[in-house]
Amino acid sequence: MKILIVEDEPALRSSLVEYLRHDGYVCETADGYRVAHEKIKLYDYDCVLLDLTLPDGNGLDLVRTLKADGSRAGVLIVSARDSLDDKVLGLELGADDYLAKPFHLAELNARLKAIIRRRQFQGQRHLLFRDLSVFPDQALVLVRDEALPLTRMEYDLLLFLLANPNRVLTKESIAEHLWGDDADTADSFDFIYTHLKNLRKKLQEKGVDNYIRTIYGMGYKLSTE
Amino acid sequence: MKLLATTNRYYLLLATLVFAVGSVVLYVGISLALRIEVDEQLLNQQREVMRSTRLKAGLLDIVALSAEPQPAGLRDTVLLDPTENVLVPYRQLSFRVAGPGPPQWVTLRKSLLETEDMVGLVLTVMLTVLGLLLLSLVWLNRWLARRIWSPFQHTLTALRGYDLQHQPVLALPPHTPIDEFSELNQALLQMSQRLEADYQSLKDFTENAAHETRTPLAIMQAKLEQLLQAQELRPATAELVGDLYSATVRLARLHQALTLLSKIENGQFPHVQPVQLDQVVQNRLRLLQDFIDDKELTVTSELRSRPQLRMHPALADSLVGNLLQNAIKHNHRGGGLHWVLTAEYLAISNTGPALAGEPARFFERFRKLNASSESPGLGLSIVQQIGRYYGYRVHYTFSAPDAVHTLRVEFGD
Repeated sequence: MKILIVEDEPALRSSLVEYLRHDGYVCETADGYRVAHEKIKLYDYDCVLLDLTLPDGNGLDLVRTLKADGSRAGVLIVSARDSLDDKVLGLELGADDYLAKPFHLAELNARLKAIIRRRQFQGQRHLLFRDLSVFPDQALVLVRDEALPLTRMEYDLLLFLLANPNRVLTKESIAEHLWGDDADTADSFDFIYTHLKNLRKKLQEKGVDNYIRTIYGMGYKLSTE
Repeated sequence: MKLLATTNRYYLLLATLVFAVGSVVLYVGISLALRIEVDEQLLNQQREVMRSTRLKAGLLDIVALSAEPQPAGLRDTVLLDPTENVLVPYRQLSFRVAGPGPPQWVTLRKSLLETEDMVGLVLTVMLTVLGLLLLSLVWLNRWLARRIWSPFQHTLTALRGYDLQHQPVLALPPHTPIDEFSELNQALLQMSQRLEADYQSLKDFTENAAHETRTPLAIMQAKLEQLLQAQELRPATAELVGDLYSATVRLARLHQALTLLSKIENGQFPHVQPVQLDQVVQNRLRLLQDFIDDKELTVTSELRSRPQLRMHPALADSLVGNLLQNAIKHNHRGGGLHWVLTAEYLAISNTGPALAGEPARFFERFRKLNASSESPGLGLSIVQQIGRYYGYRVHYTFSAPDAVHTLRVEFGD
């Protein structure tokens, strides 16, 4: 999987690269419009992670270029601007998703994976994790070929964990992933705990255990061991 | 009152005054002149009478002879006109004639009636002219109003339709036939250009400030998340990093809310479209279902009308979302949430303990009802700001017996 990261802020760029490389992506970077333009003209990418406000141009023009060239690459816009107009325009131009800064790296990773999954495999791909196979299009989870009935929240939670295996997911990032802007309506961390407890119980009933670990003071982690 | 009507009124008042004074002066002057003339005629007659050798009554029409002594000199008097049976003013001159016989007193009289007629005529003419003048002034002013004031009316129409977001610079001709209006238009044009520049710079500032703070926040969040992934973190350190991470998330939320508030204040949501409010409420309730279930709240609704409001969809969603979040957050376990939607208002009520403090202050920024709460207390400020933006009124009421808090957004004015 080859990804182009277009971001002018070096500190953020390095974090993105490190986080995504860990997942086995091949990451290339561009720190401005011109470099990015040259790279998308020369090479093919599976996904372009795009900052809109660049020192020497507008990221939206890169979306236009990609679409004009009929590129297969998915586009995930990451922008510090959160005005609805930018969002609508970006998606209308053909971007696949839009994420406003600041964001959780885990959330970005989950969305990136969703884009790549949709783009490259027309949604036919299923995810495998230890004894689990997940068919995202049918919202179907199998444990050793046996269906695992999950509520919508439990399923979303499992998918979010699956997108970030072996990584600590903070309670905040889980809450925002599940509830978005409503995350601070109540003490959402209790909900996460409830949903996680139910998910663990259901997994346990199917004979698999210990996938989800609690990391004290930080959050949860889907463990491969 | 209109400017023209006001000036008109003063013109007319002045004209009436001048005419009144003029009429009085004219009346007095003419009366005086006529009296002098009558006196002169009487004196002439006196000379004639004195010259004649014989005196006898009937020599002249208005001669009265009498042997009784009369007060000599000119006097005013009134005599009864037998035919018309009215009193008629006369001017009379009495003098003594020393003749061959006993002394005799002669009285000469002349009617003043003709002079009164003349004064009457003069006054009539004056009043007619006054009336005509007043009428023509009114007519002239109306005509001027239509003709000369038309650029002013145009300016007024342009100002009334002025909208900073859609058409930042006023569409006014800088030159009109009237200098004052040209100056007015030029001043207004300059003002609108300044206004537009100020608005633009404020907008840019808000956007830049938002952008510039978002980036470091994103870096902080990303770096902390990376730090959390480090395997060798000791639990104590991990907790520290976890706390830091929570703080950045809170900061990000606060930033988002403040940016929204300042954007509303700057009027940066010019686009409106019909919003079906009941659907917005129902969508939001669906998203909040988890929180409702957790608190075991009973949601009831009363849909009397399904108003279609003209709003920015994001603001409508934010308004409803904040109201519902508020009603859930400050509810107690097993409580109730009731919403009413009519053509005039949306009211969301929730059960909950009575609050200390003044209701009006609940809408203040950073007003926390629960000091330990992690939310920055901007929800109701946002509700109020959105309400203000669209001219809605937001009311808070508390009914003590059943401990129900109600927030009501009234759409009309």
